[in-house]
Amino acid sequence: MAYSDKVVDHYENPRNVGTLDKGSSEVGTGLVGAPECGDVMRLQIRVNPETQVIEDAKFKTFGCGSAIASSSLATEWVKGKTVSEALTISNTEIVKELALPPVKIHCSVLAEDAIRAAIGDWKKKNNVAEGAEAPAAAVAAH
Amino acid sequence: MSDVSSANYFALFSLPRHLHVDLPALEKAFYAQSRRLHPDRFAAKPVEEQERALRASSDLNDAYRTLKDPIGRTQYLLTLEGVEMEEQSRAATDAARASGGQKKQVVPPELLEEVFELNMQLQEMRAAKQMGEEEPDLRADLERARVEFAGKMEQTQTKLESLWTRWDAAEDADDDAGRQAVKTSMVELLNRRSYLRNLLRDVNDALQS
Repeated sequence: MAYSDKVVDHYENPRNVGTLDKGSSEVGTGLVGAPECGDVMRLQIRVNPETQVIEDAKFKTFGCGSAIASSSLATEWVKGKTVSEALTISNTEIVKELALPPVKIHCSVLAEDAIRAAIGDWKKKNNVAEGAEAPAAAVAAH
Repeated sequence: MSDVSSANYFALFSLPRHLHVDLPALEKAFYAQSRRLHPDRFAAKPVEEQERALRASSDLNDAYRTLKDPIGRTQYLLTLEGVEMEEQSRAATDAARASGGQKKQVVPPELLEEVFELNMQLQEMRAAKQMGEEEPDLRADLERARVEFAGKMEQTQTKLESLWTRWDAAEDADDDAGRQAVKTSMVELLNRRSYLRNLLRDVNDALQS
């Protein structure tokens, strides 16, 4: 199966590979997996406590090219977004951007799961109730 | 649902829906049915009938192969029971999206941590190897990892067989709560197993290259 150019680009030049300080209260860590293919993905975000803007994001993924590309793209997309904006990113947008074939859709699902898991971890650390983050519309004037 | 049960692989061989399978009985039933569907017996029959026999024969082969294989039949039974491993994951994502919350992972977090750490170690070992470093400990580390993963794989086999026993008992007692509990444990175990299998494959690759 041929990968799309965008997948190859993210695979060969992955953006934001690395680690953020797991112990920091500003950092949220999401670790998710897709047992069907044995992939594991860790996505971390650093959130500005004042603005709730995601200022940095890092990932480390063990998996196929599509899983790596999906998580690489996810880190690019969450950066600069507020927490609530990032929660609106869906796997279908990732599928579209990377032109993933049906058999690789679960990779994009994994990336969406990872974003949610990282945000969930950050919320837990900062005692932000689920759904109680600053509403997207109020923070971001589109 | 008599149409479904009559089409299922267990019924095809007149076997109970058990996970401990009487393999000699399965083999015997398979050969008996194969003879019945042998192309020679249809040579004089109309083409449609020949084709139907051929299709039935091919289904029979699939059924036999699936039930003979321990993992294959466990997965097959879970499918029969309406458990779709990928579907389950997707449904959990949808639920998380709807509630705005976190997804309930189908894999226990401890296992993900473990798999992640093992992958990190493996990558370090491979990187060191690629740099041409003559790490004397490197190969020993990989060998240790291989033994460790292989040991864990064996444990999953033992665990799986004990789950089969629980399943068979629940099936015989028509104990639905029991069946549900075993199903959940089996899904978890198969997920764990597929991670371990991949890790083992990667370690073996690293040792060979």
